[in-house]
Amino acid sequence: MTEDYINICLADDDQDDRLFFTDAFDELKIRTKVSTFNDGVELMNYLNNADSILPNVLFLDLNMPKKNGVECLSEIKRNEKFNDIAIAIYSTSSSEEHIEETFINGANIYIKKPNDFETLKKILSEVVTINWQYHTSGLNKDNFLMRM
Amino acid sequence: MKENYLHNSTLLLKIIFVISVAVIFFIGGITFKHIMVLKKTSTWVSNSHEVNAELERLISYIKDAETGQRGYILTRDKSFLTPYLRSKDLVKNSYKKVSKLTIHSRTQQANLKNLLFYINKRQNYLSKTLYLTAQENYDKTILRNNLIIGKNAMDSIRVKIEGMMIAQKNLLKNRQNDYESTMNYTPLLIYLTLIVTLILITIAFIKMNRDLATLKKTIYTLSVANEANNLAEIVGGFGSWQFNLETNDYTFSDNEYRLLGCEPQSFKASIEEFAKFVHPDDLQYVIDNAKNIPVNSTLPAFTYRVIRKDGEIRYFRALGRVVTIASGERTHIGTTSDVTEEVYAKNYIEDRNRELENNNKELTAFNYIASHDLQEPLRKIETFLSRLVTKDYDNLSKSGQQYVSSIQSSANRMRILIEDLLQFSRTNKNEKNYEETDLNVLLENAKQELTQIIDEKKAIIESTELPTLKVIRFQIQQLFINLIGNSLKYSKENITPIIKINCSTILANDDELLPQNNHRYYKFVFEDNGIGFEQEYAKKIFILFNRLHNKNEYEGTGIGLAICKKIVENHNGFIFAQGVLNEGATFTIYLRAD
Repeated sequence: MTEDYINICLADDDQDDRLFFTDAFDELKIRTKVSTFNDGVELMNYLNNADSILPNVLFLDLNMPKKNGVECLSEIKRNEKFNDIAIAIYSTSSSEEHIEETFINGANIYIKKPNDFETLKKILSEVVTINWQYHTSGLNKDNFLMRM
Repeated sequence: MKENYLHNSTLLLKIIFVISVAVIFFIGGITFKHIMVLKKTSTWVSNSHEVNAELERLISYIKDAETGQRGYILTRDKSFLTPYLRSKDLVKNSYKKVSKLTIHSRTQQANLKNLLFYINKRQNYLSKTLYLTAQENYDKTILRNNLIIGKNAMDSIRVKIEGMMIAQKNLLKNRQNDYESTMNYTPLLIYLTLIVTLILITIAFIKMNRDLATLKKTIYTLSVANEANNLAEIVGGFGSWQFNLETNDYTFSDNEYRLLGCEPQSFKASIEEFAKFVHPDDLQYVIDNAKNIPVNSTLPAFTYRVIRKDGEIRYFRALGRVVTIASGERTHIGTTSDVTEEVYAKNYIEDRNRELENNNKELTAFNYIASHDLQEPLRKIETFLSRLVTKDYDNLSKSGQQYVSSIQSSANRMRILIEDLLQFSRTNKNEKNYEETDLNVLLENAKQELTQIIDEKKAIIESTELPTLKVIRFQIQQLFINLIGNSLKYSKENITPIIKINCSTILANDDELLPQNNHRYYKFVFEDNGIGFEQEYAKKIFILFNRLHNKNEYEGTGIGLAICKKIVENHNGFIFAQGVLNEGATFTIYLRAD
């Protein structure tokens, strides 16, 4: 039955954000398995472990201690093993530099953390149900930033 | 040009001088010869007269002797014999004189010898007669014969003397003829050469006069230029120097010395003397530069320090170039300027600039980080509030619910403020990425951004065709968003907001709001039918954080229009606002078309 679950990972150093994130998925009626990591190092250790189940969608916070989101992103993109993971940047910032940098490094979508829990739920449900293959082929700088 | 002219002129004058001297020598020679001729002629004339006079005297002495003798014979008075006795010596003297006077004429000498024969004969017969008559009974016939011979001799003497006189006259005449022929054409020659000389001298005089005038003018111009140069050096705070590459001689202008705090020309101009004033740390640098002078024909400007006579350190700037002067010598000329004030000012400005740059960087970073990092806690406050409202709203008391919604609106307002500030600080950034852009696309994007509020208010936006311009894309899009957003925000309740966007090209000269020049501008007019404002606030609304309304009536941060102004200024344009209270506002933007 594990095949029916959508595997989701979140790397975020902020405890509150992890809480909002897991709460949102709890309230959403989607069959998901959410794993959270406190920083980039923790995340990469998990991904590089041969026994780990690789996520379908990975949410990456940018500003993290030890190893930040951009470092994780380029590391993942360098490894063919992770080719199938859709990567969503999940950050407070919506600055041009960050959007540009992550787009170039191969992230699939950029989500600005919303101010409202309902919006968050809406965004997350949309992101996990996106047809990634279709989305990625038509990806450009304008639709890279997710708008609600 | 002028020098060449003077040079040619000098050559001409030299030629004229040589010719004139030659002519004068020539005339002098001829005149000298002429005078000698004249002198000779007059000598000959007087000589001839003397000869004639002496001959007359000679004959009269002989006659005196004859007359005396005759008287004696008749009267036997011995007193009559005195002239006779004296005449012998007198005749002898007279004869000697004539002989001396006619020494150069052979004919006259021959005549004289002939004459002497008759004189002697006559005197012989005189003494014979006297001797005869001295006896008591002398033969009368012998006396008569003697007298006849004496008379004949006397006649011969007369004829001879007359002949001599004529010969003398002829001689004089011949001589005069001889010289007259030479004398006839010499005055003409002298006259002609004199005229030629006069003409030449006149030409030389005119030439010299003209040259003098040119010279005078040149000297005047030169002295004025020199004076002006001196004055310019004093006023401009620079000195000049010359270095003759052929003779290795230096010349310093007066002000060059003054710059060093010395009296003009108070020491010999040389690189060694000058080097004594150069700051020790810069000396090698100056020497290296000076060494390069003959190699490079220009001396690149360089700045160095000197220690003046009074000990003050000044900054000098040297500049020079090698030129070839009129005499063909290569000379390195240059200037020295005292640039101390400029150097200090430049240093000050550089320091200030660096400081400002740092300040600016810090401010931008601070602004960005502050707005950015402020968002995180705020977002959490809002998210927790939204959770509280959805989950536990009903458990709150009435006042509790009131407080929560107040917190929500405050948090919301703070978020808008932070977002606007972030926007403003981004507009401040220096990155000027101008791209050829179709403004219609940017307007469409702006409308897209505002879809929600446009739909909410059912607003109508009409626009004419917009041009394609070189702009910073996201900024112009932001400008459109802010202007349209502004009109929508301050729309009247219960009336459909209508925003008209119009674009036209104008010449700056034709618009009193613009600086008067010939540039072409695009004039964008955003006109709405909103609440408007009083014209007196038209300028104030563009100032950061300036608001015309209470925040309870209309939400807003007072940053939006400030951003608009900044964007337009980034594009070297102008923005103006016009408002009529309760009727609407018009924003006019001018962007350069060329």
